[in-house]
Amino acid sequence: MSIGSPGSTVGVEDHPASAEPVRTAATPHGKSPSRIAFDRLRKDKVAVTCASIVVFFILIAVFAPLLAKLEGQNYSTFHTDLVDEFGYPTISFSPDHWFGVEPKTGRDSFARWVYGARPSLIIAFLATLFGTVVGVVMGLLAGFLGGWVDRVISWLVDFVLSLPYLLFAIALVPIVESMRGGSFNLTPQEQAQIRFYVLIFVLSFFGWAGLARIIRGEVLSLREREFVLAAKAIGVPTRQVLFKELLPNLVAPIVISASLSLPAYVTAEAGLSFLGVGLVEPIPSWGQTIAVATNWFKADPLYLWLPVIGITVLVLSLALLGDAIRDAFDPKTRR
Amino acid sequence: MQWKRITAVAATVMLAAVACGSPSSNSGTNSGGQGDLGGAQEKATDATAKGPAAEVDGAKKGGTVTVLSDVTPDTFDPTNIYYTDGNQISKLMFRTLTQYRLDGDSHKPVLVPDLAEDLGTKSADGLTWTFKLKKGIKYQDGTEVKAADYAYAIKRSFAHDLYDAGPTYQLQFFKDGDTYKGPYGAGGANYAGVETPDESTLVIKLAKKFDDLPFYVAFPMFTPIPQAKDTQKNYEQRPMSTGPYKVDSYVPGTELKLSKNPSWDPNSDPVRHQYVDAWDFKFAQDTIKAQRQVLASSGPDANALNYSNLDSTLLSEVKDQSQLVKGPSPCTITYPMDTRKIPLEVRKLIAKAYPYDSWRKVAGLNPATDPPASTILPPAVPGFVKYELPGLNGTGKGAEDDAVAAEIKSELGKLGKANFELSWYFSIDDPISTQSSQLRQQVFEKAGFKVKTIGVPKAKLRTYVGNQDAPVNIGKTPTGWCSDWPSGTSWFPVLFRSDAIALGNSIGQLQDKALDAKIDAVSAKTPDEQLKEWTNVDKDILENYLPALPLYYSNTEAPMGKNIGHAINDPTQGLPEFTSIYLKQP
Repeated sequence: MSIGSPGSTVGVEDHPASAEPVRTAATPHGKSPSRIAFDRLRKDKVAVTCASIVVFFILIAVFAPLLAKLEGQNYSTFHTDLVDEFGYPTISFSPDHWFGVEPKTGRDSFARWVYGARPSLIIAFLATLFGTVVGVVMGLLAGFLGGWVDRVISWLVDFVLSLPYLLFAIALVPIVESMRGGSFNLTPQEQAQIRFYVLIFVLSFFGWAGLARIIRGEVLSLREREFVLAAKAIGVPTRQVLFKELLPNLVAPIVISASLSLPAYVTAEAGLSFLGVGLVEPIPSWGQTIAVATNWFKADPLYLWLPVIGITVLVLSLALLGDAIRDAFDPKTRR
Repeated sequence: MQWKRITAVAATVMLAAVACGSPSSNSGTNSGGQGDLGGAQEKATDATAKGPAAEVDGAKKGGTVTVLSDVTPDTFDPTNIYYTDGNQISKLMFRTLTQYRLDGDSHKPVLVPDLAEDLGTKSADGLTWTFKLKKGIKYQDGTEVKAADYAYAIKRSFAHDLYDAGPTYQLQFFKDGDTYKGPYGAGGANYAGVETPDESTLVIKLAKKFDDLPFYVAFPMFTPIPQAKDTQKNYEQRPMSTGPYKVDSYVPGTELKLSKNPSWDPNSDPVRHQYVDAWDFKFAQDTIKAQRQVLASSGPDANALNYSNLDSTLLSEVKDQSQLVKGPSPCTITYPMDTRKIPLEVRKLIAKAYPYDSWRKVAGLNPATDPPASTILPPAVPGFVKYELPGLNGTGKGAEDDAVAAEIKSELGKLGKANFELSWYFSIDDPISTQSSQLRQQVFEKAGFKVKTIGVPKAKLRTYVGNQDAPVNIGKTPTGWCSDWPSGTSWFPVLFRSDAIALGNSIGQLQDKALDAKIDAVSAKTPDEQLKEWTNVDKDILENYLPALPLYYSNTEAPMGKNIGHAINDPTQGLPEFTSIYLKQP
């Protein structure tokens, strides 16, 4: 066999070893790491189940007003005729009150439960979003630019990590209130909202630093790699190097960090509300309900179980989902 | 003038009065439910009582009683004690000039001489009181109690800057009470209001008549304090004991340990016993946890007790009703309205709109311990006569009823006060306070009022509501009051006279010369005549002035360990009586 002249296709066909290998449809081909991870996730039964549970809770939170309307109740109306003189509810499940009513006040448990899902999820998602965006940008800048930028950002990260976040959460509320005109000029609704935003701010403010540190470390090792050096050598602008060359290689740590911080924020919100420094009435939240319901555990267990189950299932699903995402992105995992 | 359950009922009782002294109602040891609220009582005194106190049947000696308390007394300095629980605990350590003996099955309190030989002798003009003192009384270190020590304790109580939580009647009634500033400043040793002509005589001089003085000298501030041992603010660490127990150690806010005082002579004490060997008070416990522990009585918890009212969520866990100490306490809780800011007609409409029944449930009131009130004086105070004005009996749906709400709305319109603004403070971090506030807001708004609620942190609430000129028109303290001694004189002159505003304890901020005159007229009468008069003043105030809505009286219902013997209610404080408690199996 002769070797074909340049431009001829004959030779290629004659030398299968130099050609692209024949692939079946199932063989991964030219897929990005994210694509591979997503494919793996879809096959992971735990991940799919957890994701659906999380979506279920998100739907509950989004459609809380609709669900309450469907039941025909709202979360703030007192039904003291439904509790006896000692405060115990006289009804449990009923067509009017699907999950019964709260002890003492007789407010509808179902409406409070569905509305209670809202603050947990909103706070967790907003804080995660903010923390991730800021953390990634800061980490990229610090790691890639180095020099004084790195020193300033690293100092900032160390500074934020050294602040006591619980104290911050407690101290910030009165400060923000006085900035908004003092408690005297605020309605209880406004005060509760201030706490809500303060909580989001505190959680995100303390959330970005850890991620920034991880990203900085990754970038430090990536920026010496050939493709980055090459991009720099041919004069690609810094912004493009950061976001087109480095960022795609950082998807794994970012997604993992985000998926792990979501359940952490849900518990943090519930924990702070339980301790009395998080959300307050009249905004319903699971953490507050748990704080009150622990006293009623023997007399009215359902009252405690509802928010406990809500938080446990949500946090467990988020945590397992985060775990599955971590596994899926890990190149060492082979399944 | 504080009530012990500040935290427990923070929603309703921001600042109430201290209890001291009041013969029990007829309810005796019963739960004191609505049906058995007592009637008028005679003031009971026994000037000839002698020690030793009658033995309790079946009492045994020995053992240690642990008190698991969810509340924390602020001080154990005898001059500074004014909270009911501090008073009660101090009875174990400090003897005073007079004391209450609980007589009979109903534990009716009788005022008896304690360190004094008698209940005091009044001069003809009523301005000089002479007390004969017992001889041979010793402190725990064996040193003799001198007459000068009684005088010094009284002088010490005038240093109100230093002992700012203590009772203040001496400042109002004792000679030079307004100018004398205690023994610490320049010239402090010279006070004309108290004299000790010899070692067994104490003379107290008054600026104005004060016929309840024998009751007042039962307060722990009248225990002898030797000047040489006075370390001012540190005195509570090592106070000089005259009672059956002495302080072993005291860690403020955490623990108080008492052991037997060897110098205490039972033969001189008509009230106290020394059955148990030691007392261990552990403060700042978790309410529910401590009460559950005491009820379960497993192991050492059988020797424990808790003196707060049983949390209503634990009612279903009480297996043995004898583990609950029940009885009356001399307090009324009200819903005060600032009469300077809300016109009488509007106050009457508020009374009509108030959702008593729902509020009782939301606030977690227990029908057994918090019976609805219809009067200002509680049943445990002599002179109480039960009466009910229409709509003012502590029960009812108020404006939750649509028809009532509509009626109030139209009447408000007729008065030209449509959308009249009601405003109050509530504690933003206390769920009960917040929920009660929400309930009132919903109901009052339904009845056509405009409502402004101001959420403040729990820690600051008392500062805000304690200000008589606070820019709100509802809920300024005192919202509740407890008798300082069994007479209307510790109620009406201190709460409803115009000058009560300046003293910071006016209910409703009334400023009415005619009412002042009526109160003064009754105060000027003899104690026995007063008994029948106070109820008229009571009714007159609610009928014609309505400065507050009576909400509920308070009763005691405290959990005891199974091994605690002779656990009875002391109606003078609304707390279990400590000095006669013994352990069934020490």
